[in-house]
Amino acid sequence: MKQEIFRARALPWWLCAPQLLVLFLFFYLPIILAFFWAFHLEQPFGGGSQFVGFANFRRVLGSGEFWSSARATLAYMVLASGSSVGTALVLALAADRRLRLSGIARNIFLWPKAVASASIGVIFVFLLNPYLGIPAPLNEIWPGLWNPRTNPLHAYAMLFVANVWSAIPFSFIILLAGLQAIPEELHKAGAIDGAGPWRRLRDIQLPLLTPQLFVVVVLEVADSLSGSFGLIDTMTRGGPGGATNLLVYKIYSDGFKAYDLSGAATQTVILMALVAVVTGAQYLFLERRVRYDR
Amino acid sequence: MTATNAPAAIGLHGLRKSYGATEVLPALEAELRGGEFTVILGPSGCGKSTLLNCIAGLERLSAGRITIAGREVQEAEPKDRGIAMVFQNYALYPHMSVAGNIGYALKVARVPRAEREARIAAAARIVDLGDYLHRRPSELSGGQRQRVAIARAVVREPQVLLYDEPLSNLDAKLRQDMRMELAGLHRRIGATSVFVTHDQVEAMTLADRIMVLNRGRIEQFATPQEIYHAPATAFVAGFIGAPAMTLLDVAGEGGWLRLSDGTVLARHRHQGAALLGIRPEQVLADPAGVPARVIYREDLGAHSVLTLQLGDGSRLQMAAGPGRPVAASSDIRIALPAGALHLFDPLTGRAFARHPVPSDAMKVQDDAIPS
Repeated sequence: MKQEIFRARALPWWLCAPQLLVLFLFFYLPIILAFFWAFHLEQPFGGGSQFVGFANFRRVLGSGEFWSSARATLAYMVLASGSSVGTALVLALAADRRLRLSGIARNIFLWPKAVASASIGVIFVFLLNPYLGIPAPLNEIWPGLWNPRTNPLHAYAMLFVANVWSAIPFSFIILLAGLQAIPEELHKAGAIDGAGPWRRLRDIQLPLLTPQLFVVVVLEVADSLSGSFGLIDTMTRGGPGGATNLLVYKIYSDGFKAYDLSGAATQTVILMALVAVVTGAQYLFLERRVRYDR
Repeated sequence: MTATNAPAAIGLHGLRKSYGATEVLPALEAELRGGEFTVILGPSGCGKSTLLNCIAGLERLSAGRITIAGREVQEAEPKDRGIAMVFQNYALYPHMSVAGNIGYALKVARVPRAEREARIAAAARIVDLGDYLHRRPSELSGGQRQRVAIARAVVREPQVLLYDEPLSNLDAKLRQDMRMELAGLHRRIGATSVFVTHDQVEAMTLADRIMVLNRGRIEQFATPQEIYHAPATAFVAGFIGAPAMTLLDVAGEGGWLRLSDGTVLARHRHQGAALLGIRPEQVLADPAGVPARVIYREDLGAHSVLTLQLGDGSRLQMAAGPGRPVAASSDIRIALPAGALHLFDPLTGRAFARHPVPSDAMKVQDDAIPS
């Protein structure tokens, strides 16, 4: 029956072509080029490339700067996704309990979704500016109490705050939807079975929320590896002293500031592999604990 | 396994529940006897589920007291009230096995594993679920799920079992089987049972006593027989029976009940305006009776239900035996036997005290009809 409607074999392809073209140009082509460049020595301003095998990988993997950036990236991945999912979960639980003002909160928490991460970065740099921002009065009393420009811990704290703020809308709405899909009667049954609110949270709500938690964690982890660029570029530029120079930002600065296109492409390939491995591992190990029964 | 040593009576004293300005239950007063199977019956929105949730402790009272086995429980947590509940949508924990569902309350109460497993097995036996203990609820049919829900309630050996429309998600056949099982379960474990439903068949078959609830008020609280044969209010009369009692506006004068156009309906010594109720199955065909026109006919096989239009335009339902079929839009004559008449106050809806009726007045005599 389907065959009769679309008798022309070419028609579906024509209809898909615009989307496929965009996907190819901006998604698959860059990936292919990254792999190509990773195995070649590129000239900074174009024109000619030379096949060098694994030389780029040996060079990148042999540099201490890469390994410190990779360590920072992994630490950021764990902390950023953990803090943003955790915060969103607490807010979603509160909104699900219909705490006071949760109707308004449900609306407001979605707004950051409409703000680009670079804009969020600019705003938080200003808000947290040690001399002009909110911490300024404290800095006057205790000089040096807060200075993300010199203290790596402060710089990270600033990144996490901005990241949590920008990541809340998506996680919050998914988790809240998941919580609200849990029938009211299960809470009642739990209460009659003698389980208090915390016990019900542990035994009923969280197990039934695992599908949503899994989606949110996978996406947030992937996002923390690649999506942190906008925040870093506007807030710390990899500083102070390269402390927040995560892989995604290091690729940019190596490639477009130091014109080491091959090195940047090599690290891109490594970062892609890292995202793939981490996501795959989550599907392998985390998804087993997801309860899809409803 | 017996659920309880001494069945617990439930007392509802001045029980009041409102949501904001909306009063759902205005000052309810009732005594549910220990070991009795009480059905709370009413249309949707009458407050019956709210009342059950109040007894369960899932809703806080606005005012009043609830006693279970003589102990005031209105401030107690649900788990401390000696109650268990079966929900309409089963409310099984989808991520736990059948055994996990049944034993959850015991686990929360830190009952040792060995005792827990023994009690789970015993409860599963009561509802014939032994083979399914390791399945997930999603692998069970609707009837099996409701059995799990019942086992989960029974395993706690409650003094009081609360049912919130537990059969309404099941198909008709299964519903009848479950009614039988619930009746048997009640006999075996003897716990005081409170069963909320809008289905009068469930109420009539299961209840020791039925509490008919309308807009949060008790219309009548009596045995199924009394509810059916002596409805205390016009609401009860119009709610019970399938089809329900017909209610007609009549006026009584000089020993006769007349419709607004003067048609004489039946003999009765009531004076003044009244609501006349009569069950469709008690309306008789009588060649000497009141003229009526058949405007609609439903043949149900065993009998058919005729909708008749009377002289003043009011409608009356009549159940006719399987005999000769009566065509729609034909004219017939009917009689309303005096013994089958129920008269209600048109203002309050309360039944007037029934007058003894002389036996010779069982039929409207044509020679006695005044002009």
